[in-house]
Amino acid sequence: MFGEEDIVKSHEKRNREVATLVLGMMGIIFARLCFLQVFKGEVLHRYSIENRLREEVLWAPRGKFYSRNMQLLVDNKPRFDATLTRQYLKNERETLAKVAEILGMTIDDIDNVIRRNAYEAKYRPITIKKNISRVELARIETENDELPGINVQVSIAREYIDKEIGAHLLGYISEIQQDQLPRYRKRDNVNYRLGDFIGQSGLEQQLDNYIRGTNGQEYVEVDALGRKRKYINTDNLFTGVENIKPVPGNSLILTIDRDLQKIAHDALQDKAGSLVAIDIKTGEVLAMVSNPAYLPSEFSKGLDPEYWQSLVGNPDRPLRDRVIQEHYSPGSTFKVVTALTGLAEGVINNQTEFFCSGAMNFGRRAYHCWKKGGHGRVNLDKAIRESCNIFFQKVSLKLDIDSIAHYARMLGFGKKTGINIPREISGLIPTKDWKQKTQGVEWQKGETLSCAIGQSFILVTTIQLALAYSAVANNGKVYKPYVVKEIIDKDGEILKTFSSELISELKLPDEYFDKVKRGLFQVVNHPHGTARWLRDSGLLLAGKTGTSQVIRQKAEKIYQKCELMPYEHRHHGVFAGFAPANNPRIALASIVEHGCHGSTAAAPVVQKVALAYMKKYHQEEYEENKKNYKKILKEFKIEI
Amino acid sequence: MKFNVEEVFKKYDVSFFIGMAAIFFIGILNLYSATYNQSTSGLYKAQMLYFILSMMVGFAVSLINSKNFYRIAYYFYAINVFLLILVLVLGKVGMGAQRWLSFGVIRFQPSEFMKLSLVFVLARWFSGNSPYDEISFKQLVVPGVLTFIPAILIIAQPDLGTGLILLLIFSMIIYYRKLKWSAIFKVVLLAALAGSVMYKFGLKEYQRKRIQTFINPYQDAKGSGYNAIQSEIAIGSGRIFGKGYLKSSQASLNFLPENHTDFVFSIFNEEHGLFGSILLIMLYCILFLRFLWLARSVTNVFDSVFCVGLMAIFFWHTFINMAMVSGLLPIVGLPLPFMSYGGSSLITFGICIGLATSISNSRSIF
Repeated sequence: MFGEEDIVKSHEKRNREVATLVLGMMGIIFARLCFLQVFKGEVLHRYSIENRLREEVLWAPRGKFYSRNMQLLVDNKPRFDATLTRQYLKNERETLAKVAEILGMTIDDIDNVIRRNAYEAKYRPITIKKNISRVELARIETENDELPGINVQVSIAREYIDKEIGAHLLGYISEIQQDQLPRYRKRDNVNYRLGDFIGQSGLEQQLDNYIRGTNGQEYVEVDALGRKRKYINTDNLFTGVENIKPVPGNSLILTIDRDLQKIAHDALQDKAGSLVAIDIKTGEVLAMVSNPAYLPSEFSKGLDPEYWQSLVGNPDRPLRDRVIQEHYSPGSTFKVVTALTGLAEGVINNQTEFFCSGAMNFGRRAYHCWKKGGHGRVNLDKAIRESCNIFFQKVSLKLDIDSIAHYARMLGFGKKTGINIPREISGLIPTKDWKQKTQGVEWQKGETLSCAIGQSFILVTTIQLALAYSAVANNGKVYKPYVVKEIIDKDGEILKTFSSELISELKLPDEYFDKVKRGLFQVVNHPHGTARWLRDSGLLLAGKTGTSQVIRQKAEKIYQKCELMPYEHRHHGVFAGFAPANNPRIALASIVEHGCHGSTAAAPVVQKVALAYMKKYHQEEYEENKKNYKKILKEFKIEI
Repeated sequence: MKFNVEEVFKKYDVSFFIGMAAIFFIGILNLYSATYNQSTSGLYKAQMLYFILSMMVGFAVSLINSKNFYRIAYYFYAINVFLLILVLVLGKVGMGAQRWLSFGVIRFQPSEFMKLSLVFVLARWFSGNSPYDEISFKQLVVPGVLTFIPAILIIAQPDLGTGLILLLIFSMIIYYRKLKWSAIFKVVLLAALAGSVMYKFGLKEYQRKRIQTFINPYQDAKGSGYNAIQSEIAIGSGRIFGKGYLKSSQASLNFLPENHTDFVFSIFNEEHGLFGSILLIMLYCILFLRFLWLARSVTNVFDSVFCVGLMAIFFWHTFINMAMVSGLLPIVGLPLPFMSYGGSSLITFGICIGLATSISNSRSIF
């Protein structure tokens, strides 16, 4: 097969040429080494001994947040950190002792910081204390000569103008954690280092990529003590090195109204609860507040362990966003769904009346109405207005839980609303399948009766409630709630616009919605309505109160003596509604934990925000309604 | 054609293994110094294990009858290309750059072995197709396609450095296989044309940046410029006699994280100066010439081309690594054979040594 020695021989010329090429190219390497080590050897040697090129981070300012009216909500302000560069450290113990004294730390503290960063390059500055005071700053600057290797680095701290108001929505930033590094590097294709800040919750996290900007780098020549050199280097050694300017992050214009935010926050003061307000026509979120809140700026300053403990140790869990991350049983606010299902399935019509004696029996259980003597003869208007349990339970006798679930989901319950904030939860709307799958037990008809009045398995978030009531006000149209209107770059150019998005539509005849709306209007404006105290002749608030049981209790106990129970057993107060009833503009929902009643705890919060909204944005319409109040009452079938 | 174990050991050619061991000896001392007093300071132990492993693999390979290399060439190539495609597909699923295939405990980088497979397949092709004549431009079509398929697959991974190495190996082999000067002219012209088209694409700033992040995803251009300058300072500061073993100050500066992989040569230069690097460069040259000398003394075209191909693998790695740390070429992450830390490249180089030894042994057997 082989035996081709001659052919191999014929390659000898090329073989020699290849050898020459290889040796020649290695010769080039050798020549280059000669150039560096002989010709430039002295210069480079001097550099390696005394001079260093130091890399300094130029922090990119994060984008700002503005309210819908361009009021500043989140800003940046400079922050000073003390850093240590191991390479330039001299007389280590003495220097550290001195720094420790200036910064009010112990040498052990500093040693620990150094140890934690041991794997970092020696020429890279390590932060030893963040956010130093002006006095500390001044001392480090003036005593610079005695502190080789110690510097002050300017970076940017986040400032949240309204402190804790809207903290959950805005979110916070903090230093990237060791265990987040590999994941985030991969996700964003950015070479994050310890000390970099990233958004960790809320909008700061959700839109981090837009807001963050890109850090720049500056290369400075420093002397043997790590101080910047005065003279400009002339031997062109560093021509390959260019500084990179930081690119500022993009700013957000939110749909949020700063004033409403403040009013909601004040109304919830001292309570654990939530409020959300949505523009019915678009889905824009106007206000979104969860209480108790936290101070987001503390996170970017470098969190104080005591403050952190106070947050984590608080039984009210201030870090949790009660608008989207907590679900509750909706109580009577869910009766709207039962009513619509009843109308849609033909169980309720204009003539429908049930008799409420205060209780009814089904199976082996008695179901009670909250009103001991009963409501007597009840039609739909009265059932909603006075929140009669028996009416809706009798309606639900003729309804299937799956069809209630269908209409509930069409109104946005049981699934995430898709709002652009991390960690939203979906609540729960039970079906027969769901129960069979998760509990292995068949659905009981009695459970349908409980679900009809918003108890049993049903769980909703505050934002779902507001969304569902906005859908009712909108005759079935559900718009996706959103909190960011526009993303603008540093020059104010619009990069991205968010607009309203119809996510589902419950197609039912308008008269069905009108019937339900009439009942909701009467809740607030009828002399017998459950929230009649909140009547305001210009606002025309329509809504529904609800009571969310915290623990299972005997029925007759539920609606009484709530205030006498221990705090953690008290019911949650729920209210959801919209205004103005004759031309719905804003939908709101509020839940006040352990507030006992929807009408006294949650409804006032909703009313204050709705009132402020109408007076700020639709003053004329408000006055007009006030004048025509009597006429409007008649339109909603209220006789006085 | 009998194959006698005793015979093999009587005439076993140890020169390649001696060359490998000599460079590795310098390499391990240097690695110890490069990682001295740092978080990576235990790495030299792992490197010694890798070396023993690669010696063993190389020795095992050297016992294979070299006729088999000819036989398996196409299969070896086809399987390797298939694995490259697999990496690309699995990588797509995993949403990100991926170069590894895992078989249980063993992780395996098909692009590493592709250099070898390419040498196999090109040697096989050129030994079978009119080996008497000089090659014309037309005859480059098939071997060209055989080279470009894996090269493009690897560049798409994305691993530009290894992809370019394949092209360089290809060009060295075709030059050796008596490519006509007119054809050489055409190839150069074509390469220049392709290069300038690439450059036109690269003219836009963000695209150039993207290519640079292809080369080294965790470093932007300016960041690597900084490393390159620190590397030049390290080399230059060694001057003629060096600062002495374990006395590198630039090493302690820690060119994160490549000072034990890509930048070992700069630390060697800082500590041993020009004299040290003369010795090291000479050792490499001796190894290259040993391959070329073997290419002349074999009795068939396959073996001859094969040896030149193996030499090309070593030479391009060595040249590119040294050129980039001394500032002649941009930083692409390629290891310096037997000096840089890394098990997978060490084993590949060990296999090359084993293959050459087997070919050398077979001369005396027939």
